[in-house]
Amino acid sequence: MGIEELLGQYGDMYGTALLTTWWMTIVSYAGAMALALVLTIMRVCPIRPLRMFADFFVQVFRNIPGISLLIITVYALPKLDVIFPYDICVIVTTILIASAFGSENFMSGINTISVGQIEAARSLGLTFGQMLRQVVIPQALRSVVLPMTNLLIAVMLTTAIASQVPMKPPELTGLVSYINTRSTGGITTFLISALCYVGTAVFIGYVGNKLDKKVRILR
Amino acid sequence: MSEPIIEEHVPMVEYRHVHKHYGSLHVLNDINLTVEPGEVIVVIGPSGSGKSTLIRTANRLETIDAGEILIEGLPLPEEGKQLARVRAEVGMVFQSFNLFAHKTVLDNVIMGPVSVLGVNKKEAEEEAAALLRRVGVEEQAHKVPAQLSGGQQQRVAIARSLAMHPKVMLFDEPTSALDPEMINEVLDVMVELARGGMTMVVVTHEMNFAKRVSNRVLFMADGQIIEEGTPEQFFDNPQTDRARDFLESIKTH
Amino acid sequence: MSASAGISMRDALYEQPGPKMRRRIRIGTAIALVLVAIFVLGIIRQFYVTGQLDAKYWAFFLQPTTWTYLANGFWGTVKVSVVAGAISLALGLVFMLGRTSSFAWLRGLSRAFIDFFRGVPSLLLIYFFFLVIPQYGIKMSSFWMITLPVALSASGVLAEVFRAGVNAVPKGQTEAAISIGLSKMQTMFKIVLPQAIRFVIPTLISQLVIVVKDTTLAYVVSYPDMLQNARVLITNYDALVSTYFVVAIIYILLNYLINQASIAVSRRTGVKILRPA
Repeated sequence: MGIEELLGQYGDMYGTALLTTWWMTIVSYAGAMALALVLTIMRVCPIRPLRMFADFFVQVFRNIPGISLLIITVYALPKLDVIFPYDICVIVTTILIASAFGSENFMSGINTISVGQIEAARSLGLTFGQMLRQVVIPQALRSVVLPMTNLLIAVMLTTAIASQVPMKPPELTGLVSYINTRSTGGITTFLISALCYVGTAVFIGYVGNKLDKKVRILR
Repeated sequence: MSEPIIEEHVPMVEYRHVHKHYGSLHVLNDINLTVEPGEVIVVIGPSGSGKSTLIRTANRLETIDAGEILIEGLPLPEEGKQLARVRAEVGMVFQSFNLFAHKTVLDNVIMGPVSVLGVNKKEAEEEAAALLRRVGVEEQAHKVPAQLSGGQQQRVAIARSLAMHPKVMLFDEPTSALDPEMINEVLDVMVELARGGMTMVVVTHEMNFAKRVSNRVLFMADGQIIEEGTPEQFFDNPQTDRARDFLESIKTH
Repeated sequence: MSASAGISMRDALYEQPGPKMRRRIRIGTAIALVLVAIFVLGIIRQFYVTGQLDAKYWAFFLQPTTWTYLANGFWGTVKVSVVAGAISLALGLVFMLGRTSSFAWLRGLSRAFIDFFRGVPSLLLIYFFFLVIPQYGIKMSSFWMITLPVALSASGVLAEVFRAGVNAVPKGQTEAAISIGLSKMQTMFKIVLPQAIRFVIPTLISQLVIVVKDTTLAYVVSYPDMLQNARVLITNYDALVSTYFVVAIIYILLNYLINQASIAVSRRTGVKILRPA
C-alpha cells in the first residue's frame, strides 16, 4: 500500500491511535507518580510492616513482565470477580509497573542527599516537616528529572501492551496489527506508528534534558 | 510576688554519667563534663576515642544509653518541638560542612532564622550579609556551595550557625576535611569567635588552636575522658601515659 | 570520623525516636500489621470464594509432566534471552562506536538508530517481523521473529550503556595512549573499551531483565516460551488463574535473581549500576 492510499484509508485512525497512546501514557504516568510517591513514603517511614510491604510491592512489579501482568488483569482477575474494562486493565498494569520504577527513582533521588545535610537541618532546629519541605524534597525532585523523563518514555512504550486486548479504537501498536491482519499494509504502516513513538520520545527526552540542565544541583 | 532573683549559676552544658554503646563498643564511658558559659573547650584524642560522638550527643544527633545531658540546667528534650528549640540554640559545625547543596550561600544562612526563628526574609538577608562579611565570604553570597572552596564552605557553615545566635557552638573536626592552606582561614574565624566570648566545644587536631584560645583541654581515649586541664598543664606536663604517647605521636607529623 | 557514616538516607530521614515517637511507631506498626494482614487475607478470601483454591486448579502442579512442560518453555525463554542478549550486545557496541566516531555522518546515523530502537515498543518491532516482513516474501522461523526484535530493542539501550562506560574512563587514559603513539582505533580497542566494559558489567546484567521481559511477547509469534507453554497448560487443565500466577511468580523470581546478581557483582567490583531508560 502506498502512503497516500494508506493515509487516505487509515489516516484518521492513525490520528486517533496517536491520541490514544498519548492519553493512556499521561493517565498511566500520573497514576504511577501518585502511587510511587505513596510507596516511597512507605519505604522510608519508620513503620516496619509498611516498609516491608512497599519493598515487596516494588520488587514484584519491577520484575514482572508487562504481558504477564496484563494477562492476569484481563483474564485471571475476572475469575476472581474483579472485572475492569480493557483500557483500564492496560492502564492499571502500566501504573503498577511504572510505580515500582518511579519509587526506585525517588529512592535514589533521596539517596543523593548526604546524611550530613539532614543533620545540619536538624541542628538548625528545623522540624521534621520543615526538613522534608526545604531540604529533602526539593533536592530529591531536582535529581530525579532525568530518570523520571526516561520513565515517561518507558510508560509510553509499555502502553503498547494495549495491542494485546481488543481496544477500540486501537492505539499505535494495535493499529499496525489491525491494518496488517486486514490487508497488506507494508512497511509504511509500521513506519508511521514508529515515527509517532520516536517523535514523542525524542520530544520528551528533549524537554527532560532541558529541565534537568536548569534544575540540576552542582555537587 | 517579688521573690529576690537569685542569680543561680547554671552551666551551659552538663554531662552526668553519660554512657553510649555501638554494639559491643563502649563509645562513651561514664562521661562527666561541665561547660561553663564563655568557656572554650578543646577535645582531642585518637580517632575512634568517642570525641565526635561526645559532642554529637549534646544536640541529640546521637542518643545516649544512660546518664543525663543538661542544656542550661534543663534535661535535653528527647523529641519534638522542644528538642528543635534547644537545637536552634546550639550551633553545630561539621567536618564535611554539610551546606544545603541546592541553595545559594545566602539562602543557606537565612534558612534557620526565617524558618525556625520567624525572622522576616529581608532582615534575615541583611544579617546574613553582615555575617558573610564577617567570615570573609560576602562575595560568594549568590553562589551555590559546590562553587566554593572547602575553606569558604566551612566559613559559610559557621555563618549559618551564627545566624541562629547560638548560646553554645559545637565544632566537629571543622578543619579535618580541608586542604592545609585553607585551615587557617577557618581557624581565624574560630579564634575571633572565641575571643568574642562564644561558648565553644571544639573537637580538633589543631593543637595550636587549643594552645591559643582554649580554657580547657580534654583528652579522650576509649570513650573516656582520660585527662583534662588548662592547655599549659596539658601540653607541657601531661599526667597520663596515653596523653603523653598521643602528644608524641602527633608531634612527628 | 562521623558515627553516621554508612547509614543510608532511608534510615537517616527519621531520627532516633524519643518515647512519644516510639509509642506512635508501636501503634502505627500494630495498625499497619492489621492492614497488611487484612489485605493479604482479603486476596486469599477472594481466591477462596471464587473457588480458585479448589484442588483441581492446583493438583496438576504436582505432576512432573506439568513442570517438564513449563521447563521446556523456560528453555525456550532462555534460548531467546541468550541469543537476543548476545546480538544486542554486539549491536549495542557497534552503535556506540558509531555514535562516538569522528565521522559526522556515522555519528548521526548511529544516533538515529539508537533513538529509533529506544523510542519504539518491542511489540511494534515484533509486529514488524511477524506481520510486515512476510509481506515481502521473507520467511522467518518464529524463533527469529521474537529474537530479532527483542535484540534490536535492547541494542539501543545497550549502546547508551556502553557510551556511559566509555565516558567513565578517565580522559588521562586516552591521552596517555595517544602520547605513546597508539592510533585512535588502538586506543579505543586496547585501552578504553576494556575498561569501559568493566564499568558496565553490572549494568549489562541488570539490562538482561528487560530482555527476559520482552521474551514473554513470544506468544504473539507462537514461539514456545514459558508463557506460551503456560497457555497450552491452561487449555489442557482449564486452570487459568493458578497457572498465570505461578508463571508470573517464576518470572518475578528469575528477574529478581538477575537483579541480585547484578547488585552482587556491582558490590564486589565497586562499580555502580547505571540506570539508562
